[in-house]
Amino acid sequence: MNGQRENLFRPQLMRIAQASEETPDVRTLRLEFRDGKAPPKFEWRTGQFGQFSVFGAGECVFTITNPPTRGGHIQCTFRQTGKVTSALRNLSLGQSVGFRGPYGNYFPMDDWRGRDLLFVGGGIGMAALHAPLQLALDRRADYGQILVLNGARTVADMVYKEEMKEWANTNGVTVVRTVDPGGETPDWDGEVGLIPNVFERLNPKPNGSIAITCGPPIMLRFMLLALEKLGFSPERVITTLENKMKCAVGQCGRCNVGRFFVCRDGPVVTAAQLKNLPADY
Amino acid sequence: MKTNGWRLTETEWRSWLEGLLRAGKSVIAPVEENALRLFSPVTSAADVVVENYSNTQWSPKEFLFPRSEPLLFYRFRGDETELEDPGLDDKEQVLFGLRPCDVAGLGRLDDIFLGESADPFYEHRRKQTTVVSLACDKAEAACFCTAVGGSPAATEGSDVQLVPRAEAWLLQALTPRGEELIAGSASAWTPASAEDWRQAEEQRLGVEKTIERSPLSKDWAPRLEETFAQPLWEKLGQRCLGCGICAYVCPSCSCFDMNDEGNALCGTRCRSWDSCAFTRFTQHASGHNPRATRPPRYRQRVLHKFSYFPLEHGERFMCVGCGRCLKLCPVGLDIHQTVRAAVSKGTPGEGHQ
Repeated sequence: MNGQRENLFRPQLMRIAQASEETPDVRTLRLEFRDGKAPPKFEWRTGQFGQFSVFGAGECVFTITNPPTRGGHIQCTFRQTGKVTSALRNLSLGQSVGFRGPYGNYFPMDDWRGRDLLFVGGGIGMAALHAPLQLALDRRADYGQILVLNGARTVADMVYKEEMKEWANTNGVTVVRTVDPGGETPDWDGEVGLIPNVFERLNPKPNGSIAITCGPPIMLRFMLLALEKLGFSPERVITTLENKMKCAVGQCGRCNVGRFFVCRDGPVVTAAQLKNLPADY
Repeated sequence: MKTNGWRLTETEWRSWLEGLLRAGKSVIAPVEENALRLFSPVTSAADVVVENYSNTQWSPKEFLFPRSEPLLFYRFRGDETELEDPGLDDKEQVLFGLRPCDVAGLGRLDDIFLGESADPFYEHRRKQTTVVSLACDKAEAACFCTAVGGSPAATEGSDVQLVPRAEAWLLQALTPRGEELIAGSASAWTPASAEDWRQAEEQRLGVEKTIERSPLSKDWAPRLEETFAQPLWEKLGQRCLGCGICAYVCPSCSCFDMNDEGNALCGTRCRSWDSCAFTRFTQHASGHNPRATRPPRYRQRVLHKFSYFPLEHGERFMCVGCGRCLKLCPVGLDIHQTVRAAVSKGTPGEGHQ
């Protein structure tokens, strides 16, 4: 750029090193830096996101699903939905994608030391919980009991099936799986019921614990009500906002919720913050 | 040297412009094309049209923030992809004949693009740009610069200002950059007198008196934010057709889209102007849309300009009162009236029947 400031919009080139099928339309990718190692000064915090690009199709925002404790590469989980995610799904191992970021704020994991953690994810929303959950597992001694409630519409739509077995085998970690009524199969051994209802049945006591919940808007709405009903303080209920973004640097003008720019001030918010935001998400 | 500025004939300032062109600068100025006043690069100072000059159809923002521009080039080589940054033109540009409202518009673009994550493309062009404003000797019916903190002879953001008077043109350099721009020509010019400037000031006051729209207070920003759930937005927003013309002609609207355009071998990642009036502006790939209908989109436009932006950027509105959106809105939506109606939480008044 003629000795000018660095191009904000130029992504890092990454190579697809590994791809695993979570569900028929959800895939997790492990991306490695094209040059083999991360550029100097490349670091991120748990909960930050990136703009992932398929050249020719465009960019798409995904959360970085691996915590910095498992660094050196970048991982993302995406559902094939639109133009970019369809193009991304068509790429094979070894092919190039772009990554720019990290952007946004992060989960205050250090502040949660000593507390119990509840992770409640619906569908692809579980992707946003993956990094903080893994971090908590990597620093197991720092946190109390961990509950993971992973829900999906149907058994086939459940993400992180294999990993859930590992999580369930970790000391002090309880994993509950649920599918929406009608989504079960004859051999399904998990719960059947909508996530907020299952959560209420589990009846966890707040006791200063942190509840992190992500999922489709309708699930989130009822999940926040359930948490409130069970006495969780809105300051200790955490979610992430997912508004549409293009630039990710606070300029393109579409991710705002009132004055709150999700790319810059989010994506991580507490239920207390959410209550003060206009209904624009 | 501090001077009183100069008193020029039209021939003198045109020959000064001619000199700038000869010196290799790109001069962007108002011209007449197909019966429209537009900003355009000129090759001769004679092409510049200032007679009966009302605001141009389009604002001059495109010379700093183009309608569409490349951000990145990519090329496929097997599994590898090569990336290349676009080259930037080092040619200096002079934006000539901008009305003070349009100069203020550039200031709002600066607020957006030169903030924490400064945009390298905008920043580069901004550094290459010198602004010569043209004070207004009359106002149009849609003008309301004085309602949003501006003035027909505001100098903020201008490097040089030219003031039309009945018998002559007054010119003053306002910045070192402006001094530099006139350095080669000023020695031949006649200095202006204090009386000349007194008359110019009188002219400004006279123009201001003809602007009838009442001031919009910066103190309203928090109150406006609280109108988010008011039914008035539904009422007003229903009228919006979602055509987006307001954003395209606005000197301060800066929202953009990014898209890849190319073929199987190579392509360009482009940035293009966008508008919050469009359905898909905020639509998620899942189909969920936080602003799914026109009323919340119209509310976003108004609150962004008069509440969210001033609350964040030191009380400046993201509106400079140029009046273009008022003139061109196909259903007569009037942002000035809307703001007043919103703060009074009443029914929209005149102009909104």
